[in-house]
Amino acid sequence: MNVPKLALKNITRRKGRFIFTLLGITIGIASFVTLLSLGGSLKNEIKKQASELGANLVITPKGWCAYEQVSVLTGEQLPEAIPMDDVKKISAIKGLTAVPYLIERTAIKNSPVPVIGILPHEMKAFKGWELEKGNYFASHDEDSIVIGSGIAQQFKLNLMDEVTIRGRQFPVKGILKETGNKDDVAVFMPLSVAQKLYGVGDKGSFIAVKVDDISKMDEYILKIQETANVAVVSDKQLLKSVLSIVGTVSLTLQLIAAVAILAAAFGIINTMMTAIYERKREIGILQAIGAKEITIFKIFLLESGFYGILGGIIGVAAGLVFSSLASPYISQNEFTAFLKSSEVAVTFDLRLVFGSLLFSVFVSLISGLYPAWRASKLTPVEAISYE
Amino acid sequence: MIIITENLIKTYNTDKAKTYALRGISLEIPRGSFSCIIGPSGHGKSTLMHLIGGLDRPTEGHVFIDGADIAGLSNSELAKLRASKIGFVFQFFNLLPNLTAEENVETAMMFLKTDEKAQKEKAKGLLSLVGLSEKLRARPSELSGGQQQRVAIARALANDPEILLMDEPTGNLDSESETEVLNAIFKLHKEGKTVVIVTHNNEIAKMAEVVFEIKDGKLDGQWKN
Repeated sequence: MNVPKLALKNITRRKGRFIFTLLGITIGIASFVTLLSLGGSLKNEIKKQASELGANLVITPKGWCAYEQVSVLTGEQLPEAIPMDDVKKISAIKGLTAVPYLIERTAIKNSPVPVIGILPHEMKAFKGWELEKGNYFASHDEDSIVIGSGIAQQFKLNLMDEVTIRGRQFPVKGILKETGNKDDVAVFMPLSVAQKLYGVGDKGSFIAVKVDDISKMDEYILKIQETANVAVVSDKQLLKSVLSIVGTVSLTLQLIAAVAILAAAFGIINTMMTAIYERKREIGILQAIGAKEITIFKIFLLESGFYGILGGIIGVAAGLVFSSLASPYISQNEFTAFLKSSEVAVTFDLRLVFGSLLFSVFVSLISGLYPAWRASKLTPVEAISYE
Repeated sequence: MIIITENLIKTYNTDKAKTYALRGISLEIPRGSFSCIIGPSGHGKSTLMHLIGGLDRPTEGHVFIDGADIAGLSNSELAKLRASKIGFVFQFFNLLPNLTAEENVETAMMFLKTDEKAQKEKAKGLLSLVGLSEKLRARPSELSGGQQQRVAIARALANDPEILLMDEPTGNLDSESETEVLNAIFKLHKEGKTVVIVTHNNEIAKMAEVVFEIKDGKLDGQWKN
């Protein structure tokens, strides 16, 4: 016999209570790991999308806050727009390439899909697209669409299939090669056709800008702002503000998970305190046969720690499974819709695994301190005389 | 003398009054003897045993075990003394219910850091000594009262203590089990252990070499059989 073996035998003797207490810490850790893991994947994905944006600067309507800037990455449709006159003025600035686009939405088989109005040749050159099948737009006002490879796959669309957008039929003229970003899950049509179809007049949602000399970024920003009444954000600023939003959201969710873990910690304290009252006489027996205060303390602390180890292992495993299962569904959220393009891979982060496991054990040990101290402070005669 | 008590006083303070459990008990128990402490219920027999065994501390007076005053020992030193020099047997057996007979005996050895292999071997030997070699894996709930008390005796012997303190060891047993347990106790006494039994059973007292009678917390009489 040894102390860990005795502690393990003690916690498993009341199976129902053991399982419920274990479930508490397991659920807490599982939710913590799920949220942390999804948060981490989301951040990675945002970085990836931002790096594949292909632009050094993004021009947005004036007065947009950070949340609205997120829509540059997500492709979310927003009411404000930039007049094409401004686009022309900005394009005239030397040393930069400006490409406007209009983001709208449609539904294919009841699934929301972004429809992006583009200047065909400018955007193709800007993005470096290649075609998988079919042909690209021949003119700026062609009534046809080019689709991303993800859309073709998801809705089983082929060349010359008809897609209904806003009540009008558009043939699929070409299918783009996989890009690995949100372009895979978008439908593209010429900007002028999109503007007419959606009745937005001569306007665009954003302007993507590439500059010839990155070191003069601040100068370009000033020039653009002097030329038109728009807001300009660099890809780095954009990434920073989006990440800060995601960070805040992740932190809030983690705090909620931390509350679940805190509740589980009280569950452990409750279980351990109950165990002390139930086993008061046994504590007295152990003391009578030679257990020191520190040994009694160790036994109870270990019992508590076992909840953390077992709950942590099961919780981390469950959390990773949950996050893998949940990642396809988070894409149904407007905010994260763009993640669908790359089927967010939940990364098996060793730091997350061991960190959560250690956190679980730490919380359980902290929870066990007071009960263990109470148990160790019982006098032998008080404990052994307990009926 | 292996056990000496000097003017042992134990009081309990309640809100209104001071209650005396022991009122100055001095006695000497010879090494290797079979002694009984008798007296009516509630007159301080068990309190005296708890003080002798270091489970409680006297309000006044001294307990000497093997010549050493245990009053000055820390809680940790007292625990070590209980583990190494004293074996306890209680009326209600006091086995750990979730452990097997073998594990109950091993647990006592764990506190003296005996290695696990030696624990197993010794537990088997002791359970065989008390006639329970067939019940190694049985839990207390699967054993009769007499068998449980014999496991408790085996546990008390686990660290080879010089002194065995027994509080009404047959008080909760039928006559057949009582005989089994008493036989085991006599066997140990013959092997040289100092046995001190607290009992109100006069038949056991008649078998003892030395008898101490406690009444109202005082030593009311002392004789040899």
